[in-house]
Amino acid sequence: MRVELKRFGTILMSRPAGREAAMAMKAYLRSAAGEPIELDFDGVISVGPSWLDEVLTALRLDYGSDRVTCLPTKNLSVIESLKVIGTQQLE
Amino acid sequence: MNTNTRNTILEIIKRNGPTRPVNLVRELGISPQAIHRHLRQMVLAGQIESIGRGPKTHYHVAGSPQLDKAMQWCLSATEPTVNPRENVCETRDVFTGRLAHMGYFTRFGLKEDDLSLVLAVAGEIGNNCFDHNLGNWRDVPGCWFETKATLGRLWICIADRGQGVFRSLIGADPSILDDQTALVTAFEKTISGRFPENRGNGLKFVRNVIAGGEKRGLACRSGAGLVDYGMLGRNCRDEITRYSADPVGAITLFLWSLT
Repeated sequence: MRVELKRFGTILMSRPAGREAAMAMKAYLRSAAGEPIELDFDGVISVGPSWLDEVLTALRLDYGSDRVTCLPTKNLSVIESLKVIGTQQLE
Repeated sequence: MNTNTRNTILEIIKRNGPTRPVNLVRELGISPQAIHRHLRQMVLAGQIESIGRGPKTHYHVAGSPQLDKAMQWCLSATEPTVNPRENVCETRDVFTGRLAHMGYFTRFGLKEDDLSLVLAVAGEIGNNCFDHNLGNWRDVPGCWFETKATLGRLWICIADRGQGVFRSLIGADPSILDDQTALVTAFEKTISGRFPENRGNGLKFVRNVIAGGEKRGLACRSGAGLVDYGMLGRNCRDEITRYSADPVGAITLFLWSLT
């Protein structure tokens, strides 16, 4: 299941906002039993590592690290955030 | 003669900071008309810029961030009496709302790719002011957020009147002994001041982005601690060390070349 992050805003910053977004995502993901969960950054202007870390940590805790992935993007803030979090986007 | 006078005017403005024409008239002993003629020429030549209108017009050196108001607010030993609404963000929501306006700087040459990084860097620093100080403000809550594009340079200043980096981190790492070690730790090691959370990669991200490009720089000051990163870090350091007092909270200045 693809999660369009632009639904949560175009500038995605701060841990509290990331925590809230992750909670909201879980509501949509209830119907995605067993499917891979792909985070889609298309349409997002900027993402901070704090926001992304909150989202990835919360989703991976519930659905497992292998199921939650980040789709490829050229957005530099996403690329740099993933580097510092220690996560790779899909090739 | 004209060049000499203009050089003298520039020196006075550099030395005194934002300067009114009436002060230049007094110091140089030449007519107001002549001063205004020189100032107009210097603005056209890109040496200086004006702020304010009418009798409150001040002139300052072009390309500089103009930190006087931010520093007065940040360094004041007592609660600041002036808290301009356009600069002070008392809540995270206000800060986030103002951050969204930074797309405005694409008109000054900020590239879309760079905008995503500038927003993320400013967002991390600004949100840190709230994450680390909620319930621990000395007086005014929130942060000072000021941006300025001048002569192909984007300056961003974010400051707070919180507990400072050292007090914020000491709970997570008691081996930190002073302000300087605390600042270096904050920017270079993954540690969270919000113990027992195992986080704290925000400022590491900031340092990586700033050091990852040629035309970027940052300096941060908290208590007696001072660090700078990036090729333009020295410029930022020079600007925030013009003021002698040490901030109890933190002040961060970063510079992004628009050319």
